[in-house]
Amino acid sequence: MWKRVLRMFIGLYVPLFVLTLFLYYSQKAKQIENITERQIRANTLKKISFEEKCHSFLRNTHYWASLKYPKNFDPLVEHSSFLRSYLEFIEDVTFYDQFRFIDLEGKEFFRAERVGTDSIVISALQNKNYHPYVKSGLQLKKNQIYLSQISLNKENGKIEKPHKPVIRTVAPIFDAEQNQIGLLVINFKMKKILDQIKSKVEDKNVYLLDEDFRVISSSTIKEDLPYESGNENSTIAGILQTKLISHNRDSTFVENGHIWSQQSINLNRATFTFGSKSNLPTEIVTPSNWLLALEIPQKLVKAELQPVFESLLTFNIISIISLLTLCYIFQKNRIEKELFYKELESKNILLTRSKDQLEENNVMVNEMNNSLEIRNKQLSDFNYLISHNLRSPVTSMSVIVEMIQKEKNPEALHQLLPKLDQVAKSITNLTEDINDYVAILDTKEIKIVDIDLKELILEVKNEFTETLLDNTGFEVQLNLEAWDHISYSKFYLQSIVHNIISNAIKYKRDNVSSYIQFESVIENMQRVLYVRDNGIGLNLERHGENVFKLYKRFHRNISGKGMGLFLVKSQLEALNATITIDSKIGVGTTFKLIF
Amino acid sequence: MNTKPNILLVDDDELYLYLMQKTIHQISKELVVSTFTDGEQAVEYITKCTEEKVELPEVIFLDINMPFLDGWGFLNEFKKLKPKIINNINIYMVSSSMRDSDVKRASNFEELTGYVVKPVNKVQLAEIFKKIYHENW
Repeated sequence: MWKRVLRMFIGLYVPLFVLTLFLYYSQKAKQIENITERQIRANTLKKISFEEKCHSFLRNTHYWASLKYPKNFDPLVEHSSFLRSYLEFIEDVTFYDQFRFIDLEGKEFFRAERVGTDSIVISALQNKNYHPYVKSGLQLKKNQIYLSQISLNKENGKIEKPHKPVIRTVAPIFDAEQNQIGLLVINFKMKKILDQIKSKVEDKNVYLLDEDFRVISSSTIKEDLPYESGNENSTIAGILQTKLISHNRDSTFVENGHIWSQQSINLNRATFTFGSKSNLPTEIVTPSNWLLALEIPQKLVKAELQPVFESLLTFNIISIISLLTLCYIFQKNRIEKELFYKELESKNILLTRSKDQLEENNVMVNEMNNSLEIRNKQLSDFNYLISHNLRSPVTSMSVIVEMIQKEKNPEALHQLLPKLDQVAKSITNLTEDINDYVAILDTKEIKIVDIDLKELILEVKNEFTETLLDNTGFEVQLNLEAWDHISYSKFYLQSIVHNIISNAIKYKRDNVSSYIQFESVIENMQRVLYVRDNGIGLNLERHGENVFKLYKRFHRNISGKGMGLFLVKSQLEALNATITIDSKIGVGTTFKLIF
Repeated sequence: MNTKPNILLVDDDELYLYLMQKTIHQISKELVVSTFTDGEQAVEYITKCTEEKVELPEVIFLDINMPFLDGWGFLNEFKKLKPKIINNINIYMVSSSMRDSDVKRASNFEELTGYVVKPVNKVQLAEIFKKIYHENW
């Protein structure tokens, strides 16, 4: 039963499940699209903010670079008052970390740096000509500003601790006569900006990468510029495990359940104008382009999809339960119905069987009825025989006795007395005949054996002198091909055959070669024995009903008691066989014995 | 056939025939009785009578069970001969039993006047004769 329930359930649920899957994936795609859109927006905002910061640095630098410096600018001694007011201003702008002037040979000739949070002090000069930003700065033309890589600040070749990520701007400075007197180098503190960039938006991971995909700042790593301090897991290969590189720089894609959105920040060769529009645009020179990447981790994507998943799961669970229940009820009903039909069928079979049994019984009852009828007939015949044949001599006797009593004439008495003797004799004869008949009726004593009919007939045939002697012209013919064995009482069959042959001999025709023929056939599945003779025959129209009756004789000049055929019939009927006769005067007689 | 018999007894029981003859004789010495031991002989006699146009006996006592031709057989033959018979004949079926089937069968023969059960005593016979001959014996 459960197998059928399951089969039906699967048939119903699979399409539903497929539909659910389709729904889930389409919902998922939609959700991801939404997420992606939001992500791109967030990323763009971050990018713009970062670029804005860079631009702000660049504008600051441009301001400093566009100042008209005095000839033979000596900020430390001669022109210290020129700078003072500027430095005081810088003091309050906290993202200024270092403010330096470097001569055309790469040596610092002014160095101010932030100590603590709100004071800028002039400090010892250093030679920086080996630094790449100095080299690049010396090649700058007017209206070009160099924007450096973001890096950790080093002092005297060592990374300053605590780590201080900085970005440097470099611009050429000129005196009033437009002669370049050196370079302006400003270190801007990046810590706050980087912190702002990597601040999470909705738990998304943020990465700022440089041109070579090295991590500058990331929401997943505490320190900035980890590669500079020797953190090996700082490349995207080390920490992100994404194919970021293989994708277009400005793209959004889904990878292993993560959603990535990357936007490049290209400032190199970009220009901007400062102040009024009439000013010449300034070109940015930078060795580095950045990449800003936003990652939504798998778990976040999952969390976003959770409601969809949950509602679909709930829907599926409910449909599983309801479908199972439905299938169960349906199948249960069906099985019950089937059981009912099966029971009906088996009942039907039983009924048919009992009907067959009844029919069989009926046939048996019919057979029994037939044999009972025959027996009844025999008993009635017997009754008649007793009441009629025995009564007549008895009544005669009573009449004689009465007459004897009344008779006074001795001579008449002499006549009457022998009559009594006659009565006694007839009663004796009758009693003997009745005995023969009763023996047949009492079938309990009958022994049924397998009889070879041919053998039996030949045996009986030898009892008659007429057939023993060949010259008497009476022949017994046998044609027992259809059957020649039968289970019957040997005594009865002998008697039957004897009587029939005896009659055939008794009633043979003169002047013809007489014969009696036994032929066995099968008719209607029954064994039939035809016995034909060519004797004088019998007028059946006249005697038909009496042929097999007791004491019936039909031929005056031939002796006989009228017992032979009566016994034949009784002996046949005693064992459920029947006999019929067909006869024609002057032609012969045929008996048909049906066993 | 010199004297015309009044009564015909047909029965295979010779003792019965003797006793009946004796009884009839006791009733009236004028009645002539003729006997046959089977139906066939009786039919032959009646056939002969019709051929010779001789009057038949007024009464026939007919037994049922007889060899060669029984009472029923006789009646069937008698039916055929009846158109040729001149006088009225009373036939009584005589049987030693009152078997229902026999009585019923007898009632189907309109040739039959009555059904008598053996033994037939003198009183019964006298009554039968009285009806037929309208005389007192």
